[in-house]
Amino acid sequence: MEVLIVLIPVSMILVGIGAALFIWAVNNNQFEQLDKHGFDIFEEDSGDQS
Amino acid sequence: MTISTISVSDMHCAACASKIRSALAGLQDVRATHINPVRRQVLVEHGDAIGTLDILSTIESAGFTPTLAGLDDHDARQRSLLKRLGVAGLAMMQVMMAAVALYAGHFEGMEAAYTRLLQYTSLVFTIPVICYSAMPFFTSALGSMRRGTALSMDVPVALAIAIAFATSLYHTLTGTGEVYYDSVVMFTFLLLGARYIGNRLQHRFDMTSHLLSALPRTATVERQENRISVPVSALVAGDMIWVSEGAQVPVDGELDTQTAALDEALLTGESDWVHKTAHDSIFAGTLNRGAAFRMRASRAFDQSRIADIAQLADQAAVKDAPITRLTDRVAGVFIPAVLGLAAFTFLAWQILSASPERALVAALTVLVVSCPCALSLATPAALTAAMTRLRQLGVVLTRGDALERALQVDRIYVDKTGTLTDDRPRITSVTCFEPAWPEADCLGLAAALQRYSSHPYARAFQAVATVRTFELTNVTTVTGGGVAGSLSAHQVRIGSAAFALDADTEDAADQAVFLSLDGAPLARFDMTNRIRPDAAAAVDALKQRGIEPVMLSGDSTERCAETARDLGIGFLARQTPEAKLAAIRADQAAGRTVLMLGDGINDVPVLAGADLSAAVVEASELVKSKADVLLLSRRLAPLVDLFRVAAATRHITHQNLIWAALYNLTAIPVAALGLMPPWLAALGMASSSILVMLNATRLLAAAPGTAPDGVAEMEA
Repeated sequence: MEVLIVLIPVSMILVGIGAALFIWAVNNNQFEQLDKHGFDIFEEDSGDQS
Repeated sequence: MTISTISVSDMHCAACASKIRSALAGLQDVRATHINPVRRQVLVEHGDAIGTLDILSTIESAGFTPTLAGLDDHDARQRSLLKRLGVAGLAMMQVMMAAVALYAGHFEGMEAAYTRLLQYTSLVFTIPVICYSAMPFFTSALGSMRRGTALSMDVPVALAIAIAFATSLYHTLTGTGEVYYDSVVMFTFLLLGARYIGNRLQHRFDMTSHLLSALPRTATVERQENRISVPVSALVAGDMIWVSEGAQVPVDGELDTQTAALDEALLTGESDWVHKTAHDSIFAGTLNRGAAFRMRASRAFDQSRIADIAQLADQAAVKDAPITRLTDRVAGVFIPAVLGLAAFTFLAWQILSASPERALVAALTVLVVSCPCALSLATPAALTAAMTRLRQLGVVLTRGDALERALQVDRIYVDKTGTLTDDRPRITSVTCFEPAWPEADCLGLAAALQRYSSHPYARAFQAVATVRTFELTNVTTVTGGGVAGSLSAHQVRIGSAAFALDADTEDAADQAVFLSLDGAPLARFDMTNRIRPDAAAAVDALKQRGIEPVMLSGDSTERCAETARDLGIGFLARQTPEAKLAAIRADQAAGRTVLMLGDGINDVPVLAGADLSAAVVEASELVKSKADVLLLSRRLAPLVDLFRVAAATRHITHQNLIWAALYNLTAIPVAALGLMPPWLAALGMASSSILVMLNATRLLAAAPGTAPDGVAEMEA
């Protein structure tokens, strides 16, 4: 079971990367208005307003 | 007097609310403070001696972060919460895996070296949870303890986390005893999750009740023959605005184009489209269901009717009902009691079992499980949801206890006859006097003349299909008389007997219209006001609830009797305001609870005399109205909705209170006896508050007119 001594630090690094990615995603508004894009088809295309 | 509305994002419970209330009470010139813990809003009525800034700084020095209402940054708050939740979730997965291994090792035997490795692994993953994810609990608890007035919900939470972590850390470093890292991270994760979901639900309440957020931000304005897009806030009275097909009207104004079809549901709750003609008033927030039209703004955006409604609705939502204050006080004594109980549990276990381990676990579980969150949310959550739903149905409550009072009402006086009868009259019979002029020709000629009139009766003629058309010249309209015109060489007139026949006909009913040719009578049209199609159904629905509607009217006895007989209700005709008030007093003396449906402004003393007052209000009168309940459309049906929603609210409030009380009463003894693992306590506490909020959201779905299945069962 000595392999744990290597595997646990590896898992810690992987979790750290995961957490960093998650925080990056939240900061970049990836979780804002998750249902918004479904409504995009109802929006008029920008630029053709008189 | 000024009213300041302030959002306090970190006011999580009733205990915080009472703390803010007492802090503001110390401020001079504060007349009244109303707090809604669900929407996290504080409404302060104050004199001119202090400003909004003073109030903000007072709340801030009480340890909270206040912002002016509307500026509260929900998104940023939720983003920060989501990050903390994510970190706690990832850490929880790792710590739970280690915990499973540790438990297995505990029963099956494990080398001490591996036990320590797993304990240190758990510690490494728990540190970010303590230092980052759980930080809001610690700061809030410390702030609350520094002031010491009333301890907030976060004190037992922070205490439980801190004690469990400190004990585990000590055991890990010394290599003795149990570790509780799994409980620490799980508790933090569940609590953050509950708070995240709670915020979302609260935001949903806000979004549905806050009308202004639904309005367009820009409008297309015609300036120097150019159409330009300007922010709605920059619009001024007199601007010519284009409203395209399907778009929302940005400000109040009058129609400039000939016709328009509008959906006023957002304002009145009435789903039928309304047809407007040139110079009719149109209101911000209504939807253009026809072709694009042009309108002239009559008021700036913040003075529009919808802004008034939003302001009224906000005030009512915050003006809390007496029952809310009661739960405030209960929660105020609850938290010290919880802390005492936890300490007692620890001591009792310590003495009886002489095992500090078990004593600690039991005490922590008691701390976690006994949070009175659900108890303090039970009533305000249901009230807020009910008010939001009623507003969508066209009913605005101006006071929080109106719903509680509505439940006692058993008689309604309807003083607003327009809610029972249609304002569009109908032709009941046509009497022709000249054989040369048959009925179809009379109607055709009348319709041709009435086209020029704006009198309500004229509309009835326009609805009639005409066989023959007549070419008229020299048409003039006489206010209070009728319409005159020339048909080839003859003079034709339509209108009252006095106008059309030049006769002083006393005996002619006031509800008849005469048509004449060169002064000789051609036809007589008897008119009547139709009973509104929904009035009969509404009256039936009221009667089913044991509420007796009675018509009050200043009109003559015969007209009243006819309408009242058709609807099957009682009536009192030729009523003066004094007589109306006397009728209400007599009923109250006989033990009835009376709702008076009146005219907002004219009937103030009569409305004030009733136990509950409702008014049909239009346009600019809104804010001036003193009624407890405002109906935004001329129909009786919203009043039925009021009683229905009131009954459903009482039911849901009771469910919530019973559930919260049962939860606390059963969970605390079980936890104190050490029969509940800490993770179950965390789950129970988090889910009980969410359950209470979710139960309240059922009110948002109450359908108009007919009760939805769930609500119908509940009322039975």
